[in-house]
Amino acid sequence: MTQTPVTTATVAAARPATWWTPRWSNWRLALVVAAVVLPASALTLPVNAAFWLSLAAATLVAVTAVVDAWGRRRGPLLVAPALALLFVTNLFPLMWSLGLSFFRYRANRGAAPVFAGFANYQTVFASPIVWDRLQTTALVVILTVGTQMIVGFLLALLFEKEFPGRRVLLMLVLTPMMLSYVAIGAFFRYYYEPTFGLLSQAVRVFTGRPFILLDTPARALAGIIVADAWMWSPFVMLLVLSGLVSVPAYLYEAAEVDRASWWRRFWTITFPYIRSLLLLALLFRTIEAFKIFDVVFLLTEGGPGTSTETIGVYVYRLAFQYFRTGESTALAYILLFIVVVLTNLYLYFVKQRSAEA
Amino acid sequence: MRIQWRIARALIVVAVLALVDAGTPPAPAGAEDIVLHMAVPDWPPTRIMKDLADKQYKAPSGNKVTLEPDFIPWPNYYERLAASLTSGEKKYQMAVSDSQWLGAFIEGGYYLKLNKYIDADPQLQAILRDIHPAVVDAYMTYPYKSKNYYGFPQMPDLLVVYYRKDVFCNPAEQRAFRARYRYKLPCTPQEMNNADWSMVRDIGEFFRRTAGEKLAGQPLTDDFYGIAYQAGKGYDFASMQINGFIWQYGADIWDETGVPHAHAVGVVNSDAAVKAFDHYLALTQYMPPVVKTGTMDIFKVDELFREGKVAWIIQWIGFGESTITPKTSKVADKSAFAMMPGLRGPDGKITRWSNIGGQPFILTTWNNEKVTREALDFCKWWLSKDTQIKFAKAGGQSALKSVYDAPEYNTFRPWNHAFGPSLDWQKDVWHVPEFFELLVEQQEEFNKAITGQETAKQALDTIASFQEKLLKESGKIQ
Repeated sequence: MTQTPVTTATVAAARPATWWTPRWSNWRLALVVAAVVLPASALTLPVNAAFWLSLAAATLVAVTAVVDAWGRRRGPLLVAPALALLFVTNLFPLMWSLGLSFFRYRANRGAAPVFAGFANYQTVFASPIVWDRLQTTALVVILTVGTQMIVGFLLALLFEKEFPGRRVLLMLVLTPMMLSYVAIGAFFRYYYEPTFGLLSQAVRVFTGRPFILLDTPARALAGIIVADAWMWSPFVMLLVLSGLVSVPAYLYEAAEVDRASWWRRFWTITFPYIRSLLLLALLFRTIEAFKIFDVVFLLTEGGPGTSTETIGVYVYRLAFQYFRTGESTALAYILLFIVVVLTNLYLYFVKQRSAEA
Repeated sequence: MRIQWRIARALIVVAVLALVDAGTPPAPAGAEDIVLHMAVPDWPPTRIMKDLADKQYKAPSGNKVTLEPDFIPWPNYYERLAASLTSGEKKYQMAVSDSQWLGAFIEGGYYLKLNKYIDADPQLQAILRDIHPAVVDAYMTYPYKSKNYYGFPQMPDLLVVYYRKDVFCNPAEQRAFRARYRYKLPCTPQEMNNADWSMVRDIGEFFRRTAGEKLAGQPLTDDFYGIAYQAGKGYDFASMQINGFIWQYGADIWDETGVPHAHAVGVVNSDAAVKAFDHYLALTQYMPPVVKTGTMDIFKVDELFREGKVAWIIQWIGFGESTITPKTSKVADKSAFAMMPGLRGPDGKITRWSNIGGQPFILTTWNNEKVTREALDFCKWWLSKDTQIKFAKAGGQSALKSVYDAPEYNTFRPWNHAFGPSLDWQKDVWHVPEFFELLVEQQEEFNKAITGQETAKQALDTIASFQEKLLKESGKIQ
């Protein structure tokens, strides 16, 4: 029996690697380095240098993670390219913009960003304009989501039954959902237009005068809600319809034998099946409506005055018209936080629905 | 046989190529290919520029210089240009820029100061002397009206009147107008040049017809409106018209040339300014109903006129080409043009102050000396009399006195007669880096007044205090 001679090299090799051992496979160390380099470079170096150094640090983390996984973890390695793409196109810009939210910076000026701590967040929270736009957004969300839920639910009840031409009609009803926001905005802009628009022409048949829908804040809001509901009610309908068709027929047959009323049948049989789907639709549409931008911008430009300017439109103005980049990113992160909370609620209900199934 | 024919055909092709090559003058030794990338809005004046450059431009240096414009749609133009400049990609050697953007991008370090090149080049100095002073101030200077030069005119534009000569010159309409208002309805451009705002009110009232009524002897199938001018919320689509009214009344916008002592409060909301804005608002009652939504921007005004819904509009000259083209306009052969109206004083003279439109183009700061020299040679070619005449013949405008003062200039396009005399009445909006904030707030308040949510005084008071605060915060005024 031959024994391998014990040397200092083999002892070192046998010793378990600690997180601070500099190796190409030590992604933990790379992560710590990146965590130090990113804020330090952002605070001390010129923007260009900070950007490239941060990118180098991020690349180091990625490379060490790949080396570590090479030959051992095939699964994670296979998804690594997708993760890298996600990081470069999504996560890194997100982190970069988060960093910008702590700086006084205007993207249209040559001046370097100046660290401002939470000053941008303070400015945003103290701004009466932001609160006003949030109120407008809340109003839009309540009205448009409410309308979509009612119209979507009624459409689902209609399409639950078989009738001649149901399939064709269903396709037509679903069409708005498949169109782009820009197409919807342009379409409704012409539809509401008082000189050429269909709506005005139709109303004029009865009144003899052109009809101006978007001339007051209330009516302009109504115009936005109708356009958004027209586009998204079919989405609610689809979700509710999937719940309605999953109700076993024998339950309705038993209810009929018991001579249960329509309301009783709905409340005790139908509603429990669609309840969680309705909640999903409500949350999903609330998240989307909270971010509403395109339809408002194309239809009313936030007017008359600023009466229909939602928070999404205001973020756009702050970022690309006022070029208050620091403030606009701070506001965008506050909105992101609200959306993340709503998304978590959404995921919670998805899980609940899975558990029920 | 077939193979022989193929060989013969190949020989012919080779021979033709050899002939073509022999006809091409040899490039000078050491000649380089230089491409001038230029950010431009996608519209006729920049398309004409590209076309002329491709066909005509030969760099005096002997280098092969190519203009490579990046045609960007107007609605995204500012964002795209700003994104390119600020991202550090250094993509463009030249760019078309609205004059209002000069301050922001010069302070950002993106636009090249041209003084040392102009001082060293008699040809550039001669060009500068030939450009109308209002255009020099508006397009080339920062701070506004200073002696720091940054740009050259690409397409000088201004507001003029477009009107329907078929209805204005119709004998029945002429008689009816005289009977009602006791003076002659303008018909010729010379008569229309004499129009003031009170005449515009009468025109607006007179030509308001509903479907079924007659217009120029023909029954109308749809409503018809007298007048229209810009009253939109987006970008500067109300300010450009309202500023004209304000200046004509002897009032002013915040005057950046008076920093640090020029204040906004008391100037922007002066009694004269309120009166001017009230006058602007009073005329909107004779306009198509879309004005009440606050979205009647320059594109809507253009559409209404080309669709034959309005008798008289105020519009940028840049829209003229599509108006007189039968493919794009129902009134192509019925349109005439005149100077923008003004306010008639007690002496009978008309004050016509207006906000200048159009754009300069600039050179960027990251070009090396060779590229800068080539770009400047290109600018000299562009602003040569010969090129400017070709540009004007193709539908552009020229700010060179030697070009627009020439008698044949008025024969190039039907609106050209109004261009030269109107240049004397042009002023510009702010060039300061804060212009977008000033503009957006102003547009919002104007929009509230246009849609009846505020009075002219309330709107101007809000604008004045916003501007005062912003300008104090930015250190522009004390």
